[in-house]
Amino acid sequence: MREVRPRLPIHYLLIGIVAIYAIALVGIPTAAIIGGALNKGIAALVMAVTAPDVIHAFEVTVLLAVGAGAFNLVAGLLLAWVLVRHEFRGKQLLIALVDAPFVISPVIIGAVLIIVFGRGGWLSIPNVPIAFALPGMMIAVIIVTMPFVAREVMPVLAALGPEQEEGAFTLGAGRWYTFRRIVLPELRIALLYGLALTFSRALGEFGAVIVVGGAIQGLTETATVYIFRALDDRNTVGAYGAAIILAGLSVILLNVIERLNRRRLSRHTATSGAASE
Amino acid sequence: MFNQIRRNSLRVVLALSLLAVLLAAAPHGARADQPDLTLTLAAYSVPRAAYAELIPLFTKQWLDKTGQKLTFQQSFAGSGAQARAVVGGLDADVVALSLETDVNAIVKAGLISHDWQKGDYKGFVTDSIVALAVRKDNPKHIKDWIDLAQHPLEVITPDPTTSGGAQWNILAAYGAARRGFVTGYDKSDDGGLKFLTELFKNLTVLDKDGQSSYLTFQKGIGDVAINYENVILSAIAAGDEIEIVYPTSTILIENPVAVVDTVVDKHGTRAAAEAFVNFLFTPDAQRIFVKYDFRPVETTVAADKLLATQFPTFTDLFKIDEFGGWDKVSKEIFGKDGKVTALLNTVKGQ
Amino acid sequence: MATQISAAVNSTVTTRSGIKPGLRIPQHPPTTARWGVLGLRFAALSYLAACVLIPLLIISIAGLREGLDVFVQNITRPAAIHAIGLSLWTAGLMTALNTVMGALTAWILVRFRFPGKMLLNALVDLPFAIPTLVAGVMLVLLLGPQTALGGLFEHTFGVRLLFAPPGIVLALLFVSYPLVVRTVQPALHQLDSDQMEAAYTLGGSGWYTFRRVVFPAIRPALLTGALLSFARALGEFGAVVIVAGNIPMRSQLASVYIYGQVEAGDLGAASGVSVVLLFIAFALTFWVDWRERRRHA
Repeated sequence: MREVRPRLPIHYLLIGIVAIYAIALVGIPTAAIIGGALNKGIAALVMAVTAPDVIHAFEVTVLLAVGAGAFNLVAGLLLAWVLVRHEFRGKQLLIALVDAPFVISPVIIGAVLIIVFGRGGWLSIPNVPIAFALPGMMIAVIIVTMPFVAREVMPVLAALGPEQEEGAFTLGAGRWYTFRRIVLPELRIALLYGLALTFSRALGEFGAVIVVGGAIQGLTETATVYIFRALDDRNTVGAYGAAIILAGLSVILLNVIERLNRRRLSRHTATSGAASE
Repeated sequence: MFNQIRRNSLRVVLALSLLAVLLAAAPHGARADQPDLTLTLAAYSVPRAAYAELIPLFTKQWLDKTGQKLTFQQSFAGSGAQARAVVGGLDADVVALSLETDVNAIVKAGLISHDWQKGDYKGFVTDSIVALAVRKDNPKHIKDWIDLAQHPLEVITPDPTTSGGAQWNILAAYGAARRGFVTGYDKSDDGGLKFLTELFKNLTVLDKDGQSSYLTFQKGIGDVAINYENVILSAIAAGDEIEIVYPTSTILIENPVAVVDTVVDKHGTRAAAEAFVNFLFTPDAQRIFVKYDFRPVETTVAADKLLATQFPTFTDLFKIDEFGGWDKVSKEIFGKDGKVTALLNTVKGQ
Repeated sequence: MATQISAAVNSTVTTRSGIKPGLRIPQHPPTTARWGVLGLRFAALSYLAACVLIPLLIISIAGLREGLDVFVQNITRPAAIHAIGLSLWTAGLMTALNTVMGALTAWILVRFRFPGKMLLNALVDLPFAIPTLVAGVMLVLLLGPQTALGGLFEHTFGVRLLFAPPGIVLALLFVSYPLVVRTVQPALHQLDSDQMEAAYTLGGSGWYTFRRVVFPAIRPALLTGALLSFARALGEFGAVVIVAGNIPMRSQLASVYIYGQVEAGDLGAASGVSVVLLFIAFALTFWVDWRERRRHA
C-alpha cells in the first residue's frame, strides 16, 4: 500500500486517537519508571545497579537467554523442518501444539520441572543439582521460548516449497549441501527474527525461573527475580534501575528485529509480486 | 544492503554471545573453590534485612578464626513454601523459618536427623509477637482485636497455606478470643471460631508471605494489617506513615533455626554451618536482631532494661501450647481438614 | 498461526503436481537417507514432546492423580471458578480492545506519513522489549492507590484501578499491544492501493472500502493476532502478579491462583486449573481454525 499524507479530518482524528492511546498506555509508564530510577540521583542509581548481586543476576539472565537462544535456534529449525517437509498423521495437531507454551503458565512449567528433576524425581541425578539450580532454569527457559523460532520458520519454509530442493537433488546435490546452500539463506531472516524474539522472552522470563530456581540470591536469581526482590526490600532505585537495564538490553535486540521486520515486509511484497506472475 | 543488515544483526548476536560467555567465565564470588566455602541459607521472608547485616559479620569472624572465606547464598520466601522447596530439592545448609512445623516437615523428609530442639533455647533464635498496623492517626480507631470484627473493614494478613506469619496471626486472634480477651465472644473454642469467622469476612488481599503482606498494606490497600511486631516497627523506623497497635492479648512468636544434616554432609559444610547457627545465639548477633525489632532470646540481651521501651509487655501473652503445640495445630487447625482451613474455605470460597 | 501455516503447507502440496514434463523426480528418497529422515523426525518430535507433551502429561497426571472426583472438586472450588472466570473475561475484554486499537494502529502506520511516526513505532515495539514483570511495576508506580492518578480514580470515581480488574486489563493491554499491530501490518502492506481507491470511488465512503476491501484482506491476520493476544493473556503471569492483588473471589487471576497453589504445595489444584485453561485456549484455537477452513473450502 502506498503511504499518503493525511488529508481529511478523519485521518487526523485516527492518528490522534492512536497517538494518545500509545502514549498513555506505553509512553507514560515508561517515562515513570525512568523517573523512578533517577529519583535519588544518578549516583545512587549507578551504585545500586553495580552491586554484586545485581551483576550476578544479570549474568544469570544473559546466560539463560543465550543458552536458550542457541538451543532453540537449532532445535526450532529442526522442528519446523520436520513439521513442514515431512508427511505423517497427526501433523496438524503437532503444529497446533507448538503454540502450547504460550498458554501454559510458566509457573506450571517450573513446578513440573521440580517434580521431574527435584529430590526424588524420576529424572533427578544424585549430586547433580538440576532443580533449584541453573540447569533446571535453563531447561525452563528453553521450554518457555520454544515456539518462537519454529513459528517464524514454518511459514517461510512452507512458502518456499520443496521444488528448489528437489531440483538441486536431481542435479546431484547432497542433502546437507542443498540445505546449507539453498534453504538456509532463505531462512536467515526468519531464523534471526525468531532468535531475537527468543532472547527478548528469555530476558523477561519470571514465573518459571522463580519457581524452579528457588530465588537463591547469588545462585539462581535472575534479573527479573532480583527486581521482584528489590521491590520487596523497598530498594526502588535498584529495582527500577535493573528494570531499565533489562528493558534496554531488549530494546537493542528489538532494533535488530525492527530492521529485519522491514526487510521481511518488503520481501513479502516482493515474493507476492513474483507469485502473481 | 540485505547482506549488510544480515551481517549487522549477526554481529549483534555474536557480540552478545561473546559477552555472555565472558561474563559467565569471569571469576565471581559464588564459586565454591577449595578451601573457600559456600553456604546456602533458606529463610522465611521477614528477617531478610537482619541477615543482610548478620552474614557479613559472621563471615568476617569466620575468616579471622579459620582463614576460610565463606560466601552465602540466600533465599527468602514464605516459611511454608520455603520448607517445601527444601524438601523438594533446594539444598540449604541452614534453614531459618517462621514455624517449628516447617522445620519438622524437613525433619520428616529425612533431611534433618539431629535433635534441633536440644539446647538452651530449644532451637528458637528470635521471638516476636503478633501486632496490628494501622494508618497514621488511626482513622478507624482500632484499639484491639474486637475492632477487627467490625464491618466494613479491610484486614490484611498473608495466606496461611504459604506463610508462617499468617498462621501466627490467625492463632493470635483465635487465642485471644478463646481466652476471653475479645468482648462479646465466649471464652471458649467456639467463641474463638466465631470471632475468626467475623475476622475472615474482612480479609482482603492474601499475600504469599509476611513481607509481601506488609508491602501490600504499605501500597495503600486495607485499613489494618496483622503482622509480626518487627515488620511493623521496622516500617515505622523506615518512615512509613503507620502506627502500631498492641492488642491486649497476643501470641508469642518463636522462630526456629536449624542445620540441615544431609546437605551439610554432602557439601562438607557442617563445621561452618553449625558455627553460623551458634553465632546467631551470641549476644552480638542477638543485638543485631534487636536492631531489626526482633525480640531476643539470649538471656543477657533479653534482660537488658532498655528493651522494655522498645518491646512492651502484655496483659496476656500466650504461647503455642495454648493450642497444644505445633504438631497438633498443623493437623487440626491448618491441616487439609483443619478447623481454620475449613472456615477460611467457607468464608472465602477457597 | 495454524491456519496460515496449514494453508501454506497445503499450497505446496498442490504445486507438487505441477511438475515440468521431461524431468523425472525420484518418488522415494534412497534407502541410506531413510534413516536420516527418521532420525531427524525422531529428534524434532522428541524436542516437541519434551517441551510440550511431557509437561502437559505431568500436569494432567498431577491433576488427575487423586481421581476424577478430586479433579472436579479442585476445579469447581469457588475461588478456582472465579479465577478462571476473571482470567477469561479480562483476557476477552482486553482482546476486543486490543484488536480494535491494534488494527487502527497498524492502519495508520501503513497508510499515513506523519511526524513522530518513528516514535510511534518505537512505542509499539516497547512492550515486546519490556519484561512483563517490569510492565507490572510501571503500572503500580504510575497508578497505585498511593499515587496521584490512582488516588484520583479511587476517590473521585470510586474505582480502584490497580489490584482490581481495571488494572489487570490495563496490564494485559500493555503487554499485548504489539501482537495485533505487528500481525496485521504485513497484511495491510499487501493491500493494493489502487483497489482500495477504486472501491472508495465506487462505494463513496471509507466504511464501504473498509468492509469490502480492507477487512477481508486483514481478516486472517486479525484473527491470528486476536487469538494470540487472548491465549497469551490467559497464561500471563509476570505482568499481573504485581498488579492483580490476589484477593480470592475478587481479583485473583487463574495464573496467580495457580502460583498460589504451587507455593502452597497443592499441585493437584494448580494442575486442574491449568488443564482447564489449556483446554479452553486449544478449543478456541481449533474452533477458529475450523471455521476459517470452512470459509476457504
